[in-house]
Amino acid sequence: MLKAVGGFLILAGCIGFGGNRIREEQSRIRHLQELIRIIRRIQNEMVYGKHTLPEICQILSVSSQAPYQEAFDTIYRRMRQEETCLDRIWEQEMTQSLRRTRLREEEREILRNLPRQMGIREEKYQAESIGQSMDLLVRKCRQAEESYENQSRVIFSLSILTGVFLIILLL
Amino acid sequence: MRQEEIMHMFPQSMRGKWKKVAQMADRLQEIRLRVNAPAAVLIDGREWFVDEHGSLLDRPPDGGGSEPEELEELLKHLCQYSLYAFADEIRQGFITIQGGHRVGLAGQVILEEKNRIRNLKYIRYLNIRIAHEIKGVSDGVLAYLYDRHGKVYNTLLVSPPGCGKTTMLRDIIRHLSNGTLYGPGMNVSVVDERSEIAGSYMGIAQNDVGIRTDILDGCPKQEGMMMLIRAMAPQVLAVDELGSEEDVRALQMASGCGCRLLATIHGSSLDEIRGKKYMCHIIAEKLFERYLVLTRKKGSCEIEGIYDKDGLRC
Repeated sequence: MLKAVGGFLILAGCIGFGGNRIREEQSRIRHLQELIRIIRRIQNEMVYGKHTLPEICQILSVSSQAPYQEAFDTIYRRMRQEETCLDRIWEQEMTQSLRRTRLREEEREILRNLPRQMGIREEKYQAESIGQSMDLLVRKCRQAEESYENQSRVIFSLSILTGVFLIILLL
Repeated sequence: MRQEEIMHMFPQSMRGKWKKVAQMADRLQEIRLRVNAPAAVLIDGREWFVDEHGSLLDRPPDGGGSEPEELEELLKHLCQYSLYAFADEIRQGFITIQGGHRVGLAGQVILEEKNRIRNLKYIRYLNIRIAHEIKGVSDGVLAYLYDRHGKVYNTLLVSPPGCGKTTMLRDIIRHLSNGTLYGPGMNVSVVDERSEIAGSYMGIAQNDVGIRTDILDGCPKQEGMMMLIRAMAPQVLAVDELGSEEDVRALQMASGCGCRLLATIHGSSLDEIRGKKYMCHIIAEKLFERYLVLTRKKGSCEIEGIYDKDGLRC
């Protein structure tokens, strides 16, 4: 009876571990989708709303999801109070909020470096320049979505097999 | 408050230099920055030079000129790191910043088809004109702007640049909107093409323009006037700086809609205005019933005269 319970717990642990890895990948895709949505919103606010970056941050502080919501709110408030260089504030706040996500380093870098593409004097071209970052994210998101199903199946199978293997080994 | 506003115009790295100038914010009229030339300020109509430590000198200092990068950084800061949002204004050669201050720009022009200005690059000359909200500046002229039944006369303010016509217009708007001894408060609509009258920031007026005032910010005068008449049913319609035949035509149309008009124009006298091609027939038609002429004498601005529709001094 004890052996059966032990075996069941090992199997459950392995499946749980696998499930966690799958959820991490799911979360990465969700974050990539949110980043794409944010950049698309920034483009729209630039072209149609003609809003300045601090104003866009204020809009995004309401319309985006955690943890970006908080980051945009802080950037907006710091820009209004301290009025220091946007690049620096943006990088500091984004580094802090992206640390809590499952994104890969190169994906975080895309959002962190966004203000470096600023400075173009026409809204259409400015939005296009930011669009390059979005294209990159879209590609990464598509790759992640495509590989997700296969990957999750493999991880799930591997976790069961590992569980079974451990049970056999311990018996 | 105004001192802080001046300081906040500059990026943090430049604020030390402008501290002394900012302390004279109430008397400050202009800040001129040019690459490789010392910064100059206009205080109470007198030009002063600013050295690298921020001290005011009556003659140009040796060195202390602005670097191109400094002006680029200042421009980015003034545009809140969003140059694209000011593209239309940069094309016209100026931007309006929080508080209604106007920053004139000069550099190299980029042209597109038919010699139209597409943009400015290498912006190397900045002229920051400080907006001054002086409440009560129009107190002395209000009596001339109403008839005996409390109806407001169509009024044109004539003044050379820098003589305070926008300040005067803003104060008249505030009075008409709030109500005065001569008449009750009225719904005033303002087409604030360059955001100088109300100094709107994110749609909110930074200057006091009265409790019954509606502002259409950043809209060309011709379109704006008809839009406001249709949408807001104003009793008084106010616009700044008439400058083309289209503006005058729109004004004529607006006068036919039953609202009273308040406008300003660049000029030094009534005769000079009469000489402008697009203004001569509007004056002959006696559309304006009052002309308020401002002038600069010995460095200070004053009211040269108030004239009736026939050009006779009131």
